[in-house]
Amino acid sequence: MKDIFTNLYNKVIGFFQSDKGDSSKVIASNRLKLVLMHDRTNLDTLTMQKMREQLIKVISRYIEIDQEALDLNLEGEGDAIALMLNIPVIRARTLEEIEAIEKAEEEELAQKAAKDSSEDESDEEEADDSESEDNDEDAAEDSEESECEEETPEVENSDSEENSDSEQASVSGKQKAKKK
Amino acid sequence: MTGRVIVITSGKGGVGKTTTSANIGTALAKSGSKVVLIDTDIGLRNLDLLLGLENRIVYTLVDVVEERCKLKQALVKDKKNPNLCLLAAAQTRDKTAVTAEQLKEICEELQEDYDFILVDCPAGIEHGFQTAISGASEAIVVTTPEMSAVRDADRIIGLLEAKEEIKSYKLLINRVRPNLIKANDMMSVDDVVDILSCNLIGIIPEDTGIITSTNRGEPIVNDENSMAGKAYKNVALRIQGEEVPFLDIDEPHGFIDKIKKFFGIKAKA
Repeated sequence: MKDIFTNLYNKVIGFFQSDKGDSSKVIASNRLKLVLMHDRTNLDTLTMQKMREQLIKVISRYIEIDQEALDLNLEGEGDAIALMLNIPVIRARTLEEIEAIEKAEEEELAQKAAKDSSEDESDEEEADDSESEDNDEDAAEDSEESECEEETPEVENSDSEENSDSEQASVSGKQKAKKK
Repeated sequence: MTGRVIVITSGKGGVGKTTTSANIGTALAKSGSKVVLIDTDIGLRNLDLLLGLENRIVYTLVDVVEERCKLKQALVKDKKNPNLCLLAAAQTRDKTAVTAEQLKEICEELQEDYDFILVDCPAGIEHGFQTAISGASEAIVVTTPEMSAVRDADRIIGLLEAKEEIKSYKLLINRVRPNLIKANDMMSVDDVVDILSCNLIGIIPEDTGIITSTNRGEPIVNDENSMAGKAYKNVALRIQGEEVPFLDIDEPHGFIDKIKKFFGIKAKA
């Protein structure tokens, strides 16, 4: 008789103590925390997406990263909100690569500036400008592509080495963001 | 005398603002303080029902504002407790009938004669909310351990923080169900407090007695045996500055304890 009750007792205890991991309470807390971070900072999905794209652009200048696995989130403890950026790094770029990318970007900027200044002039001229720009861009792309091809074997080598380490860069900008 | 004006608000509807107002008001009055309850939910008034005063209302808040009566004439005395008065909302008008300035003036006038002016706020964050908080210097934010209620409470806390006149705000967690929390199916009090990072003034357990007490038009604090009633009384004591420990409402513990107890009896027998 006592065994039956012991069994029952343990089952009841087990029922209350089991599945603590993914219980609906934990899911609720986590979902709520995330949604509140966004509510408090007034950052909508579109803005986060924009920020994400620009961050990828800047970081890709210096390191090759796994863009798909990049994780950008707001996290918070109490009143403090932190922007958590978790980026799986594939490999660091060489100095030559960085210089090449910077050069390409500078050219792009220069073209943009030229385009802006020529906007005041007549439509005909503008059409001519854009045509010539298109040509320039094509040329730039071509040169970039050839660069990449040259370095492909190297990339593969470093890939196998560094992926095993699963190197990750984590950037955390902690800032006090008072609720508004 | 300068009474304290406390607004009871939540953002989300149906979390128990009006029940909380009625019970805290009654508990404060029972302890000897002079209390006015103001229902600012114009068009959807219910505080009169919870207090069982629906048949006694002659004049409302809107009548006072539109000068059809004096403020004192519109105050309805509670059936049991002469220390408790209700200033009811008009049922036939909408929230725009009273402006923030007008309510503030009424609160200031009442502060001279009463210890506590409790303002029952309508749901939402629009005009009605802005009006309700206008005269208050303290706030009680009512929430339940549900996601939607907590999110709305967070929004309300943000708005209260931005309001200079509100000197302090405290959190009241309503309809807590310990058996669900124990089974990890409901956020606990600690979870909610942690997420909202706000000081707590009360934890009210879910109590079916609330339904019957509402049916009768009698606040549950009048029921000596009710857990929710006790919890509301403790909130009133905390408002008056006393340090009261939070009730242990760990029901499932009791359930397991009951089995243990059952064991004990068995062992003895």
